[in-house]
Amino acid sequence: MDTLLALLTVFTQPQLFLLVGLGTFLGVYIGAIPGLSVTMAVSILISFTFSWDVYPAISLMVGIYMGGVYGGSRTAILLNIPGAPSAIATAMDGYPMAQRGEAGEAIGVTTVMSFFGGLVGIAVLALAAPFVAEFALTFQPRDYMLLAVLGILLVGSLSAGSLLKGIFAGALGIAIGAVGRDPLTFAERFTFDFQIMEGGISFIAVMIGMFGISEALLQLHHVGAEAMRQKIDRIVPSWSTVRKYLPLSLQTSSIGVIIGALPGTGGDIAALMAYDHAKRVTKKPTRPFGTGAMEGLVAPETANNAAVGGAFVPMMTLGIPGDAVTAIMIGALFIHGLNPGPMLMVDQPQMFWFIVGALLTANVFILICGLTGIKLFTKIVEMPRAVLIPLIMLLSVVGAYAVNNSVTDVYWMLGFGVFGYFMRHYGYPLGPVILGVILSRLLDDNWRRAIISEREDLGAFSAGIFGSPLSLTLLLVVVAIFVSQTPVYAMLKSRISKRAADQA
Amino acid sequence: MKTFLAGLSLLAMTGGSALAADYPVKEIQGIIQWGAGGSTDTVMRAVTPHAAEALGGNIVMQNKTGGVGAIALRYVQQQDADGYTLLMGAENPQMYKVLGLGTDDYTDMVPINVLARGVPMFVANNDAPYNSMTEFVEYAKANPGEVRVGSTGPGGLTSIVLAMLTDQEDVEFTRVPYDGDGPALTALQGGAIDVMPAVLGAAIEGVKAGRMKVIGLVDTQPNDLLPGVVPITEEIPGFADYLPWGPFFGVFVKKGTPDEVVAELQAAYAEGAKNPDFIELMEDRGFIVMSIAGDEAMDFLESYRSTSSWLVHDAGFSKKSPEEFDIPRP
Amino acid sequence: MKIDYRGDADHHDGTSDATPGGYETERRPGELAFALFLLVASLYLLWEAYGIAGFEALSSAGAVPMATTAAMAVSALIIVLRTARLPKVSTESLARDILPFKVILFGGLLVCFGLLLVPLGFLPTAALFLVLAIKYLSGRGWGFTLAVSLGSLLLIWVVFRIVFTVLMPAGIVPEAELLQFFRNLGTGGGAQ
Repeated sequence: MDTLLALLTVFTQPQLFLLVGLGTFLGVYIGAIPGLSVTMAVSILISFTFSWDVYPAISLMVGIYMGGVYGGSRTAILLNIPGAPSAIATAMDGYPMAQRGEAGEAIGVTTVMSFFGGLVGIAVLALAAPFVAEFALTFQPRDYMLLAVLGILLVGSLSAGSLLKGIFAGALGIAIGAVGRDPLTFAERFTFDFQIMEGGISFIAVMIGMFGISEALLQLHHVGAEAMRQKIDRIVPSWSTVRKYLPLSLQTSSIGVIIGALPGTGGDIAALMAYDHAKRVTKKPTRPFGTGAMEGLVAPETANNAAVGGAFVPMMTLGIPGDAVTAIMIGALFIHGLNPGPMLMVDQPQMFWFIVGALLTANVFILICGLTGIKLFTKIVEMPRAVLIPLIMLLSVVGAYAVNNSVTDVYWMLGFGVFGYFMRHYGYPLGPVILGVILSRLLDDNWRRAIISEREDLGAFSAGIFGSPLSLTLLLVVVAIFVSQTPVYAMLKSRISKRAADQA
Repeated sequence: MKTFLAGLSLLAMTGGSALAADYPVKEIQGIIQWGAGGSTDTVMRAVTPHAAEALGGNIVMQNKTGGVGAIALRYVQQQDADGYTLLMGAENPQMYKVLGLGTDDYTDMVPINVLARGVPMFVANNDAPYNSMTEFVEYAKANPGEVRVGSTGPGGLTSIVLAMLTDQEDVEFTRVPYDGDGPALTALQGGAIDVMPAVLGAAIEGVKAGRMKVIGLVDTQPNDLLPGVVPITEEIPGFADYLPWGPFFGVFVKKGTPDEVVAELQAAYAEGAKNPDFIELMEDRGFIVMSIAGDEAMDFLESYRSTSSWLVHDAGFSKKSPEEFDIPRP
Repeated sequence: MKIDYRGDADHHDGTSDATPGGYETERRPGELAFALFLLVASLYLLWEAYGIAGFEALSSAGAVPMATTAAMAVSALIIVLRTARLPKVSTESLARDILPFKVILFGGLLVCFGLLLVPLGFLPTAALFLVLAIKYLSGRGWGFTLAVSLGSLLLIWVVFRIVFTVLMPAGIVPEAELLQFFRNLGTGGGAQ
């Protein structure tokens, strides 16, 4: 009974309900603008809501978090510039749809599927949080490393052109991620003895440059071209459309929750893995992937919203942040006089259920905010390019600066923008670069931790992998995916299918 | 030369008083050395609004991470010494010189307030076959290199506490590096590491919930939050040489900031640190509120630097000798 | 899988980053030079990575950087060899299809933006950039240019500077002092 009351707190107090709604609404816009991040918004809210009670403060933060994760898809679809790292995969099929004038449909499906993914995440949080949290804790450094290797294999599905160029791009990404003072040993890496290189390269700056600036520079080739008129008459997808993608979205949401719940991995990796998964399991996509496949839109969007619920799992049960935003929320709870940790669930279960309720509310508001106001967004794409291009460039500069209040980041952003422009011209895929940067630390740190724990003994290291069911499973998945990408597999497959055809 | 200097300082003072008369005339930038959600971030965001109120101004906090906090320190040192840029940091800069991470530390700045000090302790995985420091040291001696200890990089809290231990006892560990005590304590619960020296505040909730156990309290007296845990000096008396020692949080400005401005800031932060909400918050997490400034703060900073620098140097992982910077041996 | 023809003429035709530009059987102007540049850069980075810790230990800070830069160097080498064998696209030229005047101009504008950002401050630099860029690209009158560029700059400034308190380099405009002045006016007025 208490549980139900706590769950319903948000609904019984109109003030909280409206704050969640306001948060979600703002979150959509914050998420949509590259450079304005949820992390940033939530940490500003700590000061802003300093004198408030804890419930209203958390309501607003939860709303912004949910809305922000969803909002990243907007600019990804409309401008090919992901508003947040977790929307990179969304751009790959969402933008081609906008190019065909189907932005409205794309946004509609994205919204409904984000809602669904969010729901799955919340359901797991509400029903199974303690179990999932214990499971997440069993991940050892070697498991994280295998997870990173798994992620790196996604390069194959992110580079439809030349796989070789994809590999180069992915490796470059990992190298970019290593720049600066190594956080584990403080050794300088790729700094060339320049002080400004010590802090490393902000990966948001790389993303904004590669997607924002290089896209704007490419668009310069077609300044005069008429913008595509967007059809926005059928935004809400039909029930049959939604039903068609339900099985896939259930799978991708599960990926999202698990990856989200692991401390150290978040919605960005989840979305890319889900995209890869969709590419693998979908036999007949609506269109080939990369040219506007609905499945390519559904997968990352369900996964990154499901990851929100996932990120709250270790936060609420153990006081361990699932990602950067939940880390700040732990700080917020602390400032508001609570003691976030494993005892929170025991001492103050109502806080847990209140957050579940707030997340549910925010999720409903996503439907409302998402399905309305699309007209305004599509107007942005229909703006004359002569205005749009300079504005994208300016926003990229401001956004890159805002990440760490650093002019250095602006220079990096511009540099990678120009570099990305050439990469696009010569057929080097950009996705793997970002993938590499995201995975760099995960791979590097955990490889070192794993091998140090075994005292540099590769034998003990492999024994560890084969001795643990979790590690072994991950290894088998890695091997399976790797084999499926090599020519041997394709040869085998064609031979088998040929034999099948002969027999028939 | 002397008159020139005197003239210069007079000039600075008159310029300063004109400035200080209506300080602050614009937002003050507070540069937080560590990322959002970390303990430095939380402490600063908890105290600063109270201080800003006392000051009657606006303090905008921004996180500037990277280079073990050296990026933030360097940034503040590059701004004008007008009191509009504050550094909100932790203990790390005191090790920059010997570790070769930077050319400046807090002794090259003016302390506004050293807010609080943390108490370190040793926590262990629940399954570990030792429950006290004595047992732990015995076990480690019997199984050299077997115990996996979480570490947060050279010069971090773990490295210095371990240096104290290895200075006293002949023990060997495998050190698994993590980028902060949060991830390391998570790994401890998952069994990836066995022991972790951490600040009390970071581990207390996990200890209360029985997810990890305390095997040693690195202080000279017992702590209210840890009933039944004896201070380490009772088990390994040699630790008394270094204690009390602990990580701290403080607010600093560039040297050369007008005295009036420094005084106003100091008064504001002293007032902010008196706020009952803040004090309760710090005590709940096992931090000892200090709220010191001026010479008292300088002495504290100096003593921290000297103890830690020499420990690190004697343990053999310093880049430069503390002697080069005239850091006296404690 | 055959990549769609994706030259400039029909760029942004419904393909995206998953299928980037470039052709499978021909090389675009400058492509070989770019590949060579990547190769040289990769080799240099590999050398640099070796310098971090050499072959000291499997767990050294240089292990992963060395592995990844080696992967870069090897893939770049194969790319160079493959690209060199391809015939050049006969219908394209560097000046027209890869680096037309507009792109070079905007590259230059962005560099100037970056250089002036700190000394001049964000507001004047951004205003200058927007006015020049929009005037040049749209070819419309000054009224339109000024209204659109200053209007959108104001919007961006309000969102980032006031709502999100991102302190952009102030430069020559004492915006912080101005802002505080207006704030004081606001609170003063509110108190009465």
